[in-house]
Amino acid sequence: MARLIRTEKEVEGRYEEVWVVVEEDPLEQWPEGPLTVVGRPAPRKSGFERVRGEARYTADIRLPGMLQAAILRSPHAHARVKRIDLAPALALPGVRAALGPGEAHGLEEEAGFSGAPVAAVAADTFRQALAAAAAIDVEWEELDVVLDPDEAVRREQFTADPRHYERGDVDKALAQADVVVEATYRTQTVLHNSMETHQAICEWAGDVLNVYISTQFIWGIRESVAETLELPQDKVRVVCEYMGGGFGSKNSPDEYTYVAAELAKRTGRPVRCALTRREEHTAAGNRNATIQRLRAGARSDGTIVALDGEFTNAVGWSGWNASTEGPMKMLYDCENVRTVTFGAKVNTPPMKAFRAPGFVEGTFGLECLVDELAAKLDMDPLELRRRNYATTNDGTPLSSKNLEDCYRLAEPHWERRHEVRSRSDAIWKRGVGMASQIWYGGGGPPSYAWVRIGSDGRATVITAMQDIGTGTRTAMAQIAAEELRLPLDRVDVVLGDSARGPYASISAGSSTLPSMGPAVRAAAADAREQVEDIAEQRGMPKDAPVEEVVDLLEDAQILGKGARGPNPAGMSVLTFGVHVVEVAVDVETGEVVVERVAAIHDVGRIVNPLGASSQVEGGIIQGIGHTLSEERLLDPETGRVLTSTLESYRMPTIADVPEILCEFVDKPDTQLTNLGSKGLGEPPIVPIAAAIANAIRDATGADVHELPISREEMLRALREAEARQKEKRGAPAAV
Amino acid sequence: MELLRPSDLAELAMPSDGGTFVHGGTEVVPLLRDGLLSAETLVDVRGVVPRGIDGGTIGAGTTLAELEVEPAIPDALREACRLAASPQLRNMGSLGGNLLQATRCWYWRLDYPCRLRGGDRCHAREGEHREHAILANDFCASAHPSDVAAALVALGARLRTNRRELPVEELYRLPDEADRRTTTLEDGELILEVELPEVEASIYLKAMDRKRWSFPQAGVAAARVGGETRIALAGVAPVPWRIDSVEALDAATPLPRTEWKLPLARALVRRALAAIS
Repeated sequence: MARLIRTEKEVEGRYEEVWVVVEEDPLEQWPEGPLTVVGRPAPRKSGFERVRGEARYTADIRLPGMLQAAILRSPHAHARVKRIDLAPALALPGVRAALGPGEAHGLEEEAGFSGAPVAAVAADTFRQALAAAAAIDVEWEELDVVLDPDEAVRREQFTADPRHYERGDVDKALAQADVVVEATYRTQTVLHNSMETHQAICEWAGDVLNVYISTQFIWGIRESVAETLELPQDKVRVVCEYMGGGFGSKNSPDEYTYVAAELAKRTGRPVRCALTRREEHTAAGNRNATIQRLRAGARSDGTIVALDGEFTNAVGWSGWNASTEGPMKMLYDCENVRTVTFGAKVNTPPMKAFRAPGFVEGTFGLECLVDELAAKLDMDPLELRRRNYATTNDGTPLSSKNLEDCYRLAEPHWERRHEVRSRSDAIWKRGVGMASQIWYGGGGPPSYAWVRIGSDGRATVITAMQDIGTGTRTAMAQIAAEELRLPLDRVDVVLGDSARGPYASISAGSSTLPSMGPAVRAAAADAREQVEDIAEQRGMPKDAPVEEVVDLLEDAQILGKGARGPNPAGMSVLTFGVHVVEVAVDVETGEVVVERVAAIHDVGRIVNPLGASSQVEGGIIQGIGHTLSEERLLDPETGRVLTSTLESYRMPTIADVPEILCEFVDKPDTQLTNLGSKGLGEPPIVPIAAAIANAIRDATGADVHELPISREEMLRALREAEARQKEKRGAPAAV
Repeated sequence: MELLRPSDLAELAMPSDGGTFVHGGTEVVPLLRDGLLSAETLVDVRGVVPRGIDGGTIGAGTTLAELEVEPAIPDALREACRLAASPQLRNMGSLGGNLLQATRCWYWRLDYPCRLRGGDRCHAREGEHREHAILANDFCASAHPSDVAAALVALGARLRTNRRELPVEELYRLPDEADRRTTTLEDGELILEVELPEVEASIYLKAMDRKRWSFPQAGVAAARVGGETRIALAGVAPVPWRIDSVEALDAATPLPRTEWKLPLARALVRRALAAIS
């Protein structure tokens, strides 16, 4: 039965109170461990389509008569359009329409960063559109530019009010602590770099707007577009069949969608607006840089008594102030914690959620600080973490937490450190480091699914969700197959179109599986119960094979429907894990090689171990890029993005990928839904940077404080460690 | 745009509008696409430039991919080819073209009006320059990207063009106020062959910020040729840079954010010398 409740909704660590109609979730969880289909490795449902090039991504769509749009972007980091003349663009060959500031949502007169969208054109070809955009005549009034986040904080230039948090008495605890460590950590701006750039094709079919878009949230696009264009929601149809990556950057429609919609309206033709790779590197969002000034105090027995952090997020011209302080508040059982988080509004491209926003950055700072504390206490870093184990989330009970199991599974990997270190020589120093992971990932209601069974004994799961490349089709099919007692190859999944299925969750915040999976199971269970009724009427056993029960249905169908039930009331649903990393550092050239990563995660029930290990590998590889080589650089004078190509912005290559071992605790969260599964999209990228940095410290004694750990940073840290050693020995420090 | 495909040197007449030679296209095509190079006429020289290895003579049209698997050429050249770019680029890119590639300086690649473009300032010196030069960087701080060029300089290779013969070092010049070019190649001049001397031992060591597909942060080629030890560096000066000894690096003039390249270059030079001694 449907029930109206007021509930706390969490996405990417951001909470809001919402009213939702939830349906009860009466199904008992399946028993722990691998079942017939669920919990067994299953290759991708869409693997063949993808490798054959048959999967239709938004970037593949070419509608008849479709025009191509290009966007004119601000060359200035902060400026206002004094005068704009679209006529030179409209006079060029092939140009069909042009828009100035205010004529489509997102095109604005005031440009707050170099690359801000200002105007747009539609033409027969993309080349013509580019030439036309360049021909638009703009007179700019340049405005005051602030690029330095500390300067923005000094000027109290924020995207939102600073966020303060305190429990206990931090000053007193620090004064009484036996050991205090203090350090400043900096993380860089990195780019999502989805293979498919941000893009949309808009087409008006009568009074219905069809939006083909590369997105993580079909229903969010539908709602935002309808609201912005003042259309009834049912007049906006959103389609995303296959999607080439988002990592948090494709949750909302943004200027390219509105530009395409408006140009389509004016020209009466479908319009495609697709960002180029260079635009992608500029205006499609980023993981913002942070500055973290941290202190920790502990008693000599290893009890952490105080954690104190000042966090500055260099948010950009717009965006939100991500929870960089989250790990400091949540990871350890510490009575005295104080944080302040500033969201610095600077004239740089806006941040967007990027795979565990805030927690990736905050975990780097906190988990490096904890290892510095362990070094000062002369305590084993794993032992220090165990001594400060939190059993609640700041007093709120947890639905489940098996981090101690993760630590136990980590022990054999951690034990290797003696042998790894012994393989060091004069140039290559080797070491082992670890870091813990905490993040959300519980998902939530609402989400719905339908299941249809035909007389051929095949089942189809129907829901208007998106598969952002994480193996959603496969996992949903596994859940339905398990519940229906069907082999996996007899279950299909139809998704990707708001006109062809019920509401489905966003694929962000590691929420796809925990939000959608229980709805799919409920729908399959509803269908299975109907099959059982028919079996009973036919005098067949209750568990007779579905295809035998339904074989006389002819054109009749069994239709099941299911909904995601509520999250456990009054509980925090969190994910946990630990990474143990082995590195080698060339102490003369500053080269860092990650040789082995053991990743152990606690995310409830594992539905598809093969898909899950792919998620972990992907997260670790993306995290290695964040840790060692990726950095978006701006010209300090103009605020323009310098690393605008994939040659200058350096993501890891396959040669940079170490041996990766994945292990899962694989215990269902007994409080969470009929499935007991949490999300896994984000957890694997959370601890990797700190684990690498801690392994570097283990290998070399050098404290790295900045990401990326470039040769420059590595050589600086080595020099500093050397000076510290000399000082210790009584010799004068090297200058 | 017009594409000419001459089949022998006699047919090779440069159009008067300053057409552009293209071989593998791995440099020219992206520059054209980005509007950094404009040409009404492209002259595809694949029918003109020799390709292949004959003793110490290497056709300038030989691809990097062909060179990286050739046991008969000196280690320094083979390694420089192997460690350059990506397999796709090495399959297309030619030896001659590699020597002529432009800097990766992001200001130059983004068309800032810098000194290399005839402007009056080096944006990198004042701006973001962590990948830039530590030597001869006063006028222009760009770093020369060619691994192969450093290898050939260290090996003491000579070039034959359609007009002259010259040591590979003389292909390059530092840009100055009067002349912003970084090569001495004249309009219509085409590199045809590379001539290698007898090499006793050689090596190329390259530091990158990832394991593959990266231009050199610093690349060091060292060779023993006719009893002489020759060292040349990539990625540290606006042109391939020859030094006599590791001590020569004491004269480096790093910028604030390129100081890290100095210990790196020193370490690589020491290793390279040890390897060939």
